[in-house]
Amino acid sequence: MTTAALRLDGVSVGYSGTPVVTGVDLELRPGQRLALVGPNGAGKSTLIKSVLGLAEILDGSATVLGHTPARARALTGYVPQTGNLDPDFPVSVRQVVMMGRYRQLGWWRPARAADRAAVREALDRVGLADRADVRFGLLSGGQRQRVLLARAIAAQPKLLLLDEPFNGVDAVSQEAIVRVLRELSAGGTALVLSTHDLAVARDLADLVCLINGRQWAVGTPAETLTAKPLRQTYGRSAIDLADGRMVLVEP
Amino acid sequence: MNWWDDVMHRAVAEVVLVGALTGLIGVHVVVRRLSFFTMALTHATFPGVVAASIIGVNLLLGGVVTGTVVALGVAALTRRRGQDAAAATGVLVSGGFALGAALVATQSGFSRDLSSFLVGSILTVSAPDLVVTAVVLAVVALVLVLCSRPLLYAGFDPAGARASGVRAGGWDVVLLLTIVLVVVTVVPAVGTILALSMIVAPAAAARLWTDRLPVATLLAVTFAIASGLVGLYVSGRWNIAAGASVSLAATAVLVASWGLRRPRRIACGTRVRAVPA
Repeated sequence: MTTAALRLDGVSVGYSGTPVVTGVDLELRPGQRLALVGPNGAGKSTLIKSVLGLAEILDGSATVLGHTPARARALTGYVPQTGNLDPDFPVSVRQVVMMGRYRQLGWWRPARAADRAAVREALDRVGLADRADVRFGLLSGGQRQRVLLARAIAAQPKLLLLDEPFNGVDAVSQEAIVRVLRELSAGGTALVLSTHDLAVARDLADLVCLINGRQWAVGTPAETLTAKPLRQTYGRSAIDLADGRMVLVEP
Repeated sequence: MNWWDDVMHRAVAEVVLVGALTGLIGVHVVVRRLSFFTMALTHATFPGVVAASIIGVNLLLGGVVTGTVVALGVAALTRRRGQDAAAATGVLVSGGFALGAALVATQSGFSRDLSSFLVGSILTVSAPDLVVTAVVLAVVALVLVLCSRPLLYAGFDPAGARASGVRAGGWDVVLLLTIVLVVVTVVPAVGTILALSMIVAPAAAARLWTDRLPVATLLAVTFAIASGLVGLYVSGRWNIAAGASVSLAATAVLVASWGLRRPRRIACGTRVRAVPA
């Protein structure tokens, strides 16, 4: 039996002892894609950070690739939201992707041919090989997101966590990101991505976890993206269309 | 006569060393938006220096101790969610200076030293001062080169850095303490008020000319050394306080760079590069 990429048993996570999300139970196998779905402030980012060992696990147990979250960091990759990054920071696209190789390189060993090749290949996969020397902040939001994805790929993670990867992303970039994510999971990488876009979750995920302060449902998209659990998660923002589909509206 | 015995020779050597030091750290200060913190630091080290002078220990040591306390305080505040680090830093600017002024008032015959603390006294620099500046320059250059990767990662993307095992908070402290060391070292030469312009102006000017960090660092060091030498020459030629003329020269470099680069920036949006034909 293969080791689960991620296993959460009755997990509560938060900061400074205060829980943000409680009662999360799920298991993700290598190559599976998990979507964390919930409204803004539901605790999706906190749950992702706890898997990276950056938010406290207050209760329950979390196993990442057979290790504790902090010890599994060498095997996990993280794609943060681009909105928090300073667009004026003088760093090129190539430098950003090379950051993904720092763990292998250490702090002062010069980059070797293998590192440069990994950076080139990662940029090629996200379709930005021709923008390597451009300053990161000069790219569009979608392109920045693809660069951060390339940085994570360059580190060759076994579990990749993405925080709202489609926020403010144009259609071309979204298509490129979805294609790369499918390729990665076909190659055995397990994926966790947070989103509030039900269409993305339905289309991309093998597993969906509905959260808003607590876990409301976990299962396949067909089991979870239905009227009852969505209404529990989103309250009145979830509207039941006559044909059985659900839409979310701003409260 | 030994070359070092000449006041002007020593001043030239100090200005070159200080220029290299401020240019090196200045790029980090500008890129990380730490100008305000650096200003607070120049003022907050003041009481430490005065206290050291009263107790009779090395002034540099007094500055380093208070500077370190301030740096660690700011680092702790920025880690806490919901705390306004800018407000705390602002209070430090005036609070530190007030404490220094209060300490000065308790002593008689301190006013001459006080004015040299404010605008510096590059013409009274001694050979041991030069050695100290040179050693600090070597240490700072070593730290910035050896730690360039974690400093870059933690500065650009703290969350991403932490997720890949880089202790972003710890590296922030390393950078803040390096800034403390530079501030404390250059204050005796150019003064507490003028140190900031030597650190920020050449680096801000360099940043207008390039998007590449190594090139910006080289330019900042060049601008800072040139400002120092021009300022020293102007000071000797027209009998102006050296600290003031050095700072004015650094400011002039920034204004000139801004004037030359600004139209081009506007022409290409935010992009700084030649307009294609």
